[in-house]
Amino acid sequence: MAVKDVKTKDQHIENLAKIVGGAQSILYKKEDLLAYDCDGFTIHRHLPKAVVFPKSAEEVAQIVKYCNEHDLPFLARGAGTGLSGGAIPLNGEVIISLTKMKRLLSVDLENRRAVVEPGFINLKLTHSISNKGYYYAPDPSSQYCCTIGGNVAENAGGAHCLKYGVTTNHILGMEVVLPNGEMIEINTNGVLDPPGYDLLGLLTGSEGTLGIVTKITVRILKNPEAKQTVLAYFDKVSDASQAVSDIISAGIVPAALEMMDKTAIEGVEAAAFPVGHPKDIEALLLIEVDGISAGIDEQIHEILEVCRRRNVREVKVAQDEKERERWWANRKTGFGAMGAISPDYLVQDGVIPRSKLPEVLERIKQISEKYGLRIANIFHAGDGNLHPLVLFDARKPGETEKALAAGSECLQVCADVGGSITGEHGVGIEKREEMRFIFTDEEIIAQTNIRDVFNPKNLLNAGKLFPTPGRCVEVKRNEKEKMK
Amino acid sequence: MVNQRKSAFYKTIETMFFITKQRGVLGLIATELLSELKSILRDSQIQVEEKENHPLGNSGRVTVYPQSEEEMANVLKYADSSGKKVTIVGGGTKRGFGGLTESADILLSLADYKGVVEHTVGDMTLTVKAGTPFQALQEYLAEYNQKIALDPAWPEYATIGGVIAANDSGPKRFRYGSARDSVIGMRIVYPNGTIIRSGGKVVKNVAGYDMNKLFIGSMGTLGVISEVTLKLRPLPKYESLILLSFLEGSMEEIRAFAVRLLDSMMEPTSLELLSPSLSERLTGKRVYTLAISFEDVESAVHYQEDFVKRIQPSETSMTVLPSKEARVFWNQFYTIGPNGREIGDDKEIEAALKIGVVNLDVLQVIKESHLLQDAANVAIEAHGGLGHGLCQVYVKGAGEDVVAVIERLRQFVTPLSGYVIVKHLPFVLRQKVDVWGKKPSYFFLLEGIKAKVDPNHTLNHRRFVGGI
Repeated sequence: MAVKDVKTKDQHIENLAKIVGGAQSILYKKEDLLAYDCDGFTIHRHLPKAVVFPKSAEEVAQIVKYCNEHDLPFLARGAGTGLSGGAIPLNGEVIISLTKMKRLLSVDLENRRAVVEPGFINLKLTHSISNKGYYYAPDPSSQYCCTIGGNVAENAGGAHCLKYGVTTNHILGMEVVLPNGEMIEINTNGVLDPPGYDLLGLLTGSEGTLGIVTKITVRILKNPEAKQTVLAYFDKVSDASQAVSDIISAGIVPAALEMMDKTAIEGVEAAAFPVGHPKDIEALLLIEVDGISAGIDEQIHEILEVCRRRNVREVKVAQDEKERERWWANRKTGFGAMGAISPDYLVQDGVIPRSKLPEVLERIKQISEKYGLRIANIFHAGDGNLHPLVLFDARKPGETEKALAAGSECLQVCADVGGSITGEHGVGIEKREEMRFIFTDEEIIAQTNIRDVFNPKNLLNAGKLFPTPGRCVEVKRNEKEKMK
Repeated sequence: MVNQRKSAFYKTIETMFFITKQRGVLGLIATELLSELKSILRDSQIQVEEKENHPLGNSGRVTVYPQSEEEMANVLKYADSSGKKVTIVGGGTKRGFGGLTESADILLSLADYKGVVEHTVGDMTLTVKAGTPFQALQEYLAEYNQKIALDPAWPEYATIGGVIAANDSGPKRFRYGSARDSVIGMRIVYPNGTIIRSGGKVVKNVAGYDMNKLFIGSMGTLGVISEVTLKLRPLPKYESLILLSFLEGSMEEIRAFAVRLLDSMMEPTSLELLSPSLSERLTGKRVYTLAISFEDVESAVHYQEDFVKRIQPSETSMTVLPSKEARVFWNQFYTIGPNGREIGDDKEIEAALKIGVVNLDVLQVIKESHLLQDAANVAIEAHGGLGHGLCQVYVKGAGEDVVAVIERLRQFVTPLSGYVIVKHLPFVLRQKVDVWGKKPSYFFLLEGIKAKVDPNHTLNHRRFVGGI
């Protein structure tokens, strides 16, 4: 293919185009850039300067080096499914899209590892190895389209993380382009515990602020021998919550333990994958157990007993893989399903100690009443990771702001009971200020100090993850004035 | 000889004799150091060492026993602002692990900072003070049918803080992961006295950088871990251990068996290969032996035992140890390596090595360790996990022979992209052997982190990679 020239007066764009091999690998016209002004968090938008599509780590390194030398802000982007705004070009960044670096580089079944490029899609990894009986465990709901590079940046979770852990528990090594363009390899051979501070652990979940990952070594797992899924309908949220605690207390570690409340059920039943849940129940639990076949029946029996003791209205075990898949499709498309019952919705991502579930759900109900906005709850009950979905209509003046305030208040409740403001979606732009709910100034500085080691000029994905220092002072001042 | 600060009785005696001791050595100690420490701590929390030269090094001229975070912070603040060096110690089992300082100014002991802070049974989370001995914790948790999913060495003495700071793990890591998979929150006292919380109390949390990871395995070079929050697991309802001894000792046969088991859907908790010498000590059979353990409901454990029996290679012998006997085996297993609390006789040098390779390359490392025994005139016991790639190699012999073995093993694992870390070695020999091996290519990042957190190199100076 002939290399097309870039016609623009911007020297930087011309130079970047040269690095990636011409016009077919760069976007710079306004109409093309519009698709990149936000990610899965749509409330903030900003146009990037350009979007480049490198095909190799070397090209990434050259782009970064160029940006660093010319003080151009830049950031990395995968599939753009992030829910907290981590890939939004707040400062008119050059977006380095990793979607063309999407190869599966190697698979080593005997040593249970695979090496992928960052743009490789999460679910494709499992599909590539499932015929041999292996899979990649982290399963965010967007796994059919999100990239493993993005998963690393966000330390993505998923429904099955209760038993198998989140992304960070499955990353063995990576190749990283640092914000000055230098390329380093951390443990790409996947040997555990390399001498030194755990940079893999630090980089995973750093929301693209410490470096750009260009190669990832991941752990793969053997499929469990058996799997059983239970669906339980409850008339009271408190009974469902109690059942969650009882299952865990019985010494069972379910592979997944999901909950949906009445509003959420209304949404999923109105959307593309209804399964015929009764409309008048208050909560449902979706419980999955996996492991050695000989032990599964015993655990299922115990789970059914627990549900019955907690006044379950109806409880059933999936009869075949098809039924199981239907139940999961209904759950995994839960966020999007809210579009069927509300013009807009805002997803939150708080975490609470499991035992506080009834109390917190009650307080979320009060927040919903206070703002006059419906809040649906779909969440990973087993690990206390809540996803309150605030339903609103952006066309109504002031309602977006109300939704944001309600979402923030939900996070305050999570923080109040000893929890966290995000379990798997990340802080991004969305929850920057809420970081103060759980961290002191000193603790935030301890973290930005680490950022400065990697990203001293703060050209890489600036303005994410941490609260703006200036604003904090202003808020404090306002509060003082109010007190007077 | 065991650590003197063992019982309340000893403590009383020490307090009584403190004045006498102090008078005897005061001339050697900067009076300023002692008087400053006395303004922070009670006399009974300060112990002046009569003999500074511990054979494993990592001593202090004065040992302090803070009982609160505030006391720790004040000691560190003082040390950091006055150019004093601080070494941190828990149970002392890892005293021979790294460190090029024979005696720092202050030895900060966490031995008196122990106990459960919060255990939310229903949430399966536990917050505990760092000086709590590991086994005491497990015994406490067992009453609730829960456990910390780690199996470090010398659990009776090793403290939870030390296990995490040194990132110790055992054979069951294959199934349960390591400290980085269990720790969900920490409180860290920074060298300047600031107290920083990392993570939180919930099992899933991505708010901010995952700072927990920074401190796990950092060998106390960034801060003093004062409190740890862990996620717990239920105690298994049943467990067993299969000891599969390979009479012919062919590596191909062991490999073929391991690959078959790993490729099955069985879920062993450990798949640990023991060298013939170690196997002899633990099982009486001087042949390569696999220690395969299962933890699950009883029916599932027996089902997996049956699977292993079905694929048992010829020329092997198999012993199945049910629950209690399995636990007895493991308890013995966790004390096979050297313990930094014990000062051995001077005739033989003991070393412990942690060798990391790609999982199945463990076979080669264990074989090489076995062969080196005769060639290098040392006694070697070794084991390694075929599902996680980490080996522990224990070497005993004359100083120069031990050093030669370390070098030989380093050369051996280099083409395998592996590493050798020396986890235990007398202080004198640590001057000759680089405990951590060669610096990684990204060392400047490690140095940068150290410089931000501990710019004066106050904490555990030169205890870590590349002299950090």
